[in-house]
Amino acid sequence: MPQLDVTTFAPQLVWLAITFIAMYVIMAKVALPRVGQILEERQNRIDDDLDRAATLKEEAEAAAVAYDEALTKARAEAQAAIREVSDQLSAEAAERQKALGDKLAADIAAGEKKIAAARDAAIGQISEISGDLTKEAAEKLAGVKVTDKAIEDAVAAVMGARAR
Amino acid sequence: MANPLSQFEIKPLIPIEIAGIDASFTNSSLMMVLTVTAVTAFLTLSMRGRALVPGRWQALAEVTYEFVANMIRDNVGSEGRRYFPFIFSLFMFILFGNLMGMIPFSFTFTSHIIVTFGMAIVVFLGVTLIGFIRHGAKFLGYFVPSGVPVVMMPMLVPIEILSYLSRPVSLAIRLFANMTAGHTMMKVFAAFIIPLGFLGGWAPLAVDVALTGFEFIIAFLQAYVFAVLTCIYLNDAIHLHH
Amino acid sequence: MSEGTSPEPTDDFDARLKNAREGRRPSEAETDGPTTSAQGIGTALRLGTELVAALAVGVGIGHALDIWLETGPWMMIVFFFLGSGAGALNVYRVASGIGLSPGYRRPTVKGNEDEDEDGGKPGNGSSV
Repeated sequence: MPQLDVTTFAPQLVWLAITFIAMYVIMAKVALPRVGQILEERQNRIDDDLDRAATLKEEAEAAAVAYDEALTKARAEAQAAIREVSDQLSAEAAERQKALGDKLAADIAAGEKKIAAARDAAIGQISEISGDLTKEAAEKLAGVKVTDKAIEDAVAAVMGARAR
Repeated sequence: MANPLSQFEIKPLIPIEIAGIDASFTNSSLMMVLTVTAVTAFLTLSMRGRALVPGRWQALAEVTYEFVANMIRDNVGSEGRRYFPFIFSLFMFILFGNLMGMIPFSFTFTSHIIVTFGMAIVVFLGVTLIGFIRHGAKFLGYFVPSGVPVVMMPMLVPIEILSYLSRPVSLAIRLFANMTAGHTMMKVFAAFIIPLGFLGGWAPLAVDVALTGFEFIIAFLQAYVFAVLTCIYLNDAIHLHH
Repeated sequence: MSEGTSPEPTDDFDARLKNAREGRRPSEAETDGPTTSAQGIGTALRLGTELVAALAVGVGIGHALDIWLETGPWMMIVFFFLGSGAGALNVYRVASGIGLSPGYRRPTVKGNEDEDEDGGKPGNGSSV
């Protein structure tokens, strides 16, 4: 077995020492710090990015809250405006209606008054005509001279009874 | 292919001798140098872009980095961070050594007991040193199991010490044995492919293909086990308990 | 994190953001002590070596002592048994998930000794 050849031990150990020490120095001084530096840089970068993401998220949330608030406020304002306008409109409408009603009521009252006057006039004419008729009828049929006074009284009595 | 073990032979490429010690540059040394070069190239070239959003190679390098970092964090805790470069070097050295040994006609230096033992003893001595530096003489209390009658101590303390001393040995043997066994087995089966001819050669070839896949898993797993055990030993030394 | 004042559509985003921020450092809080997350892939690979290694160390030390003290085979025999004991102990610890620390039971979570992290220990053994 060549591995147990003692004469090869010395050169192998010497070169093991040389190469391994060289390896250690290169690793410790050159190669590993480079890798470590990159890894650290990346970690920092990721940390920064995550931090920035967090702050951006907070900002976005704040913006969302502000937006919500503004929206609610605007909505409330709009509603208030609408209510005001509709109140005003309904008030105007009510006023107009009332004016119309008043006018109508006045018209009705005037009409009634006219009707009443017309009726009174008609009734007056009726009594007059009926008086004349009565007088003529009495003269022609009964030959009785009826005084205007008596007729008037009689008609008035009848009319009064009717009217009652 | 006479001997399946010939692949483990050390062949000096440049004979060197320093202060009476044979320090020849061998095929093993060449693979070690290539391993360090490959790991360095992998980590520096892939990170050349230094992109915040990594490409394929950079992502691979980062995954490797974080894999070892997590291993240390899970097994040692935050105090293990100081030893990250060492454990990372150890892991990558063994992993790339194993993987590059998979290339045909190359050499697997992790299949040599002296190499694995060299690494294991460095880990063992380092961890023991850290234990003594952090806890002083209290670290010796490590070998006195708690909740055991005093009568048993003369037997249990040597056993504990032996158990502790067996750590580098088991660490070294595990890596060496796994790499040697895998490569030897592949060679044995490969040796049958040509002699069995066009008809019979398929079976050992299929076995070798399956073994190759298996060997890649082993290559990673052994590097992982070596690094994790180092982490566990380190944790024992740092967080002395009982 | 902002409070729950968010209106509905952002709830999902909220949750995702929270997840992302909390998920970025999964175990920041638990870096003090070891955890049990490593998997026990290599347990089977370990058992045999642990036994053999302890035995080898025992026999090796025994043999060395025999040579040094010239005590014949006795030290080697004694250390063979001690090594076997250590090997069995190693295997037991690996298999039962105690880890490689001394002691024969899983350490209870008390943390009364030098304020070190004891609680995480049981996980170590299962990690390999």
